[in-house]
Amino acid sequence: MSKLVLGRLSSSLLTLFLVSLVIFAITSLLPGDTAQQILGQFATPEQLAALRVEMGLDQPALWRYWHWLSGFVTGDLGMSASNGMPVAQLMNDRLPNSLLLAAITTAISVPVALTMGLVAAMRRGGNVDRALNVVTLSMVAVPEFLVATIAVLIFAVHLGWLPALSYVSTVESFGDFMRIYAMPVLTLCCVLIAQMARMTRAALIDQLDSAYVEMARLKGVPPMRRVLRHALPNAVGPIANAVALSLSYLLGGVIIVETIFNYPGIASLMVDAVSNRDLALVQACAMLFCGAYLILVMAADLCAILSNPRLRNR
Amino acid sequence: MTHNRYGDDGFVSPEQSLQVYRAMQGGLSRRQALKMLAAAGIVAAGSTGLVPGISRSWAGENSQQGTPKRGGRIRMAAHSSSSSESLDPAKGSTAIDYVRAYTFYNGLTRFNEQLEPQPALAESFESPDNGGHWVFTLREGVTFHDGKSLTPQDVIYSIMRHKDPAVGSKVKSMVDQVADIRALDDRRVEFELSSPNIELPSILAVSHLVIVPDGTTDFSKGIGTGPFKCEQFSPGVRSIAVRNENYWREGYPYLDAIEMVGISDESARVNALLSGDVHMINNLTGRNADRIKQSESSRVKATNSGNYTDLIMRVDQQPGSRPEFVEAMKYLLDREQIKRVALRGYGEIANDQPIAPSSPYHFSGLPQREYDPERAVSLLKKAGVSGARVSVVVSPAANYSMEMGQLLQQSAAQAGLTINLNRVPADGYWSNHWMKHPLGFGNINPRPTANILLSQFFASDAPWNESGWKNEQFDQLLVASRNEPDEATRKQMYADMQTLIHDESGIGIPVFLSDVEGYDARIGGMDRTIPLGAFMGYMCAENIWWNA
Amino acid sequence: MSEIQAMTHRRQSVPSRRDSHRRMTQSSRLPIATPARRNKPRLKLTRWIGLTLFGLWILIAIVGPWLAPYPMGAFVSDEIYGGASVAHWLGTDYMGRDMLSRILTGARYTVGLAVVAALLSSLVGAGFGMLAVLLPHWLEEGIRRIFDTLISIPSKMMALVMVSAFGASIPLLILAAVLSYAPGAFRIAHSLATNLATLEYVQVAKTRGEGRFYIAAVEILPNMIQSVLTDMGMRFVFIVLLLSGMSFLGLGVQPPAADLGSLVRENIGGLSDGALAVIAPALAIGTLTIGANLLIDSLSNSRDTQKE
Repeated sequence: MSKLVLGRLSSSLLTLFLVSLVIFAITSLLPGDTAQQILGQFATPEQLAALRVEMGLDQPALWRYWHWLSGFVTGDLGMSASNGMPVAQLMNDRLPNSLLLAAITTAISVPVALTMGLVAAMRRGGNVDRALNVVTLSMVAVPEFLVATIAVLIFAVHLGWLPALSYVSTVESFGDFMRIYAMPVLTLCCVLIAQMARMTRAALIDQLDSAYVEMARLKGVPPMRRVLRHALPNAVGPIANAVALSLSYLLGGVIIVETIFNYPGIASLMVDAVSNRDLALVQACAMLFCGAYLILVMAADLCAILSNPRLRNR
Repeated sequence: MTHNRYGDDGFVSPEQSLQVYRAMQGGLSRRQALKMLAAAGIVAAGSTGLVPGISRSWAGENSQQGTPKRGGRIRMAAHSSSSSESLDPAKGSTAIDYVRAYTFYNGLTRFNEQLEPQPALAESFESPDNGGHWVFTLREGVTFHDGKSLTPQDVIYSIMRHKDPAVGSKVKSMVDQVADIRALDDRRVEFELSSPNIELPSILAVSHLVIVPDGTTDFSKGIGTGPFKCEQFSPGVRSIAVRNENYWREGYPYLDAIEMVGISDESARVNALLSGDVHMINNLTGRNADRIKQSESSRVKATNSGNYTDLIMRVDQQPGSRPEFVEAMKYLLDREQIKRVALRGYGEIANDQPIAPSSPYHFSGLPQREYDPERAVSLLKKAGVSGARVSVVVSPAANYSMEMGQLLQQSAAQAGLTINLNRVPADGYWSNHWMKHPLGFGNINPRPTANILLSQFFASDAPWNESGWKNEQFDQLLVASRNEPDEATRKQMYADMQTLIHDESGIGIPVFLSDVEGYDARIGGMDRTIPLGAFMGYMCAENIWWNA
Repeated sequence: MSEIQAMTHRRQSVPSRRDSHRRMTQSSRLPIATPARRNKPRLKLTRWIGLTLFGLWILIAIVGPWLAPYPMGAFVSDEIYGGASVAHWLGTDYMGRDMLSRILTGARYTVGLAVVAALLSSLVGAGFGMLAVLLPHWLEEGIRRIFDTLISIPSKMMALVMVSAFGASIPLLILAAVLSYAPGAFRIAHSLATNLATLEYVQVAKTRGEGRFYIAAVEILPNMIQSVLTDMGMRFVFIVLLLSGMSFLGLGVQPPAADLGSLVRENIGGLSDGALAVIAPALAIGTLTIGANLLIDSLSNSRDTQKE
């Protein structure tokens, strides 16, 4: 097992390297550079040239990549080119917020989704299944920005129960905490639950349809036990992967929630960094998202292997 | 707009100070100016300034909206905020940056409601030689937030740093005309310009040119002389400004604290105002302005500041190189419809020239160009492009260009011209698309003076000559106007230049866009207007109060 | 465009019937009598609802533009966010254009693009996912690295670089959507196939010397088809929603045309008044995506009814 984990870790490092290379290439391909973004609409060519020299943007691309990479491997994330602050500090200000939002959303959405999926698979074709089906589909079929805006209109503007903006800094009590996180978490759950619940149901049904579960049914194994002991272990891999995929969205993909609720997270930092062609910051965020994704899928694969002994020999 | 309250103070009315200022610009000596004032019945009382009165005239700046109250804490939300923002005034690029600059810092001068430069950190200023040299006398007893006193060295550093390309200043081109700055003594600084400019005091009032302590390179603390101190600044997240108890302007500011955030989504910004989570927002479209108007607790304010989105037709490329085509396109802009449909009325009809009606140099005698598809048809035929298909670049980066483009598309179809709209991302628009397509859109923010505007966007060698329009007569007029002593002659020159742009340049300006902002009804002082932009020309921090 | 939709529609229904057939032959190899399923009529109801909704949207995508009472770009009313009226059944949008015409014309983009992109994403993702488990370990690892790298590139960056390099076009929009969503499909399919590849009958087929494509198509796919189809249904939803974001970046649909998501987005200002201009396109997205998913569910469930 530890050999497998080590193997996975080393291939993860390779992926990180590949991602950094691709991101660098894309950043170089994108029209405009940091100097242009800093000087903005009314930049003159002389100003641009001078600022580029100052920022080292006149150096060859590969040299700049090497410069970034050698800093990165020694733990130096570099300085943000667009505002001169250390990248580590910019990320440090926001990462805890993002992680907190992700943790709360995970804590709510994963159990709900798995339960829904499990129930739907057991009651397959029944009223409960159909109801859950339509509910999850309706939740995901409404665009995220619409869910968020409707929630704000109802709960903040009309009822005045919740704040329209989620300021982390104003949390003073548990009640504040609930009020602040209610709407962002609700919005994110709408997006995530559907995918996880539906994939859980599908993966279980694939297993329930398989020969060995039907064999168990013929042997007279009760339905509950059939689902939990026979179908579930084999379905853990795909379910865990679906969950990992959904959760990986929670760091980099929550830009709409961050924008509408003015929540200071890491997704908007990344989007700003792309707009500003701020290479060091883009790279740091991309490494973070990719690293989080790799950890999640590795955990998913480990779950699969632990639940299915046959996979261990592969 | 409110003014004429100078009676209380007994000093000079804005109109009078304007008159004197313009007279000075026009080459009157100080003695003549004083005579004018005396004739106006103003008693000069022992001031060391250029014109007694101007230096002390806060006249016309009091609001009629009740009595100012001290105390209170408000939250402002601007339309954009990014992790790249900084408290370095030289880098200011959007509303929230400008507001912060005027909140934490002061300039040597500042704008009043007529956009005339008023004394600020300089208690007086004068030019002995019609704009070649300028002497600014610093106010006494002004200290920075860290306790350091204001000295001429601070002024020299604050201005000259813009000339260093490494600073990345947005106003480098404006400051480049300053050849040198010297300290004459411990209160007076002398600016030497490479060519005379009677508008230097106006230029020094822009938010980029506020005064920072000598040698500052780390701007994260926002140390200035301004009405508020920076308590917290987190780029792209928020900043908190708290009252500067040692502010040099007696009695100001009123508020205890101001928190500033950016909310880029317009619906979210409006909802935050309506739910009471923020108290001032900017950059609203007319649709949302109407929504705020319906609310009991909020107000809407529209300021016409000369901001415009223009149709750019490169006259050095096809099809803009055919003058009849350009003229036809100008006739195809249905200005009334653009104002009504795209702006929901929040704008002013423009006449294909960039000087807004609020400017003293606006030429109202220029015949208004109307929507005239029939005329356009014959012009297009003359140009040999009737029935043609052209592509116009639009982008969310140029405000309302998507709406204007779609309206133009419809009206052009009436004249048999097919327009394909090509939407490009806001990301990188200004560096990669603006002025680079035969037909596209630009968006120009107000400039402090008409001369700066024309020099930057219409002179043949202007860096941002959007349509590539070159006209010798225009260039001569522009240069001559900078030194023309006679006000009437200068006005005529500006009128001629506007006519030339209207008739010949490749720029179609259908409307001037209003800066529409929304604010909580409990905010006082918002009836004053400084026509530079929203948030009272970005200078609201020290001028508003909280009625609660 | 209409041809593509007709084609993709056909393609969507064909494999599942074939799958169910194979599934039958496979299960018939096993000496187990399949028990009867309950709820047969209900499944049929779901299928009819799915088929009706999705079919309706396919139809609108094909003939919608001819049914539209006004050109989609025409400014026909002075009233913005107007309510339903005889002249404008679905009211007017934020600039006074006829909402019904805009939906009828815009549906074509959403339906066409999303169907093609979802099918391609699943084909690429699931295809590689299944094949990878049958390939030598180093190759499997390589494919995984490539998909993991792809999924880690922010889609905004990808869209921006594509639009700046190749300009805006419909195929490019599809490519961007596939690049964004195929890696996820790969992940799911690969984890399913990994489990299945360890089962006896796959091992037996391998020792029999069957080809990789045969094993993937005959032994593995039928046993994970429910999950793959469900995943495709979800990807369809995500792609429908993704399009409006991509349009905003200038990739693809150009004004005055707009896909359904963009119609919601551009009229969001009317939400507080409950404007039809925002509700109607949101309902359109809802019925389209729910219809598509119900249809997919009933297709994969149809095996059960056929088994009886």
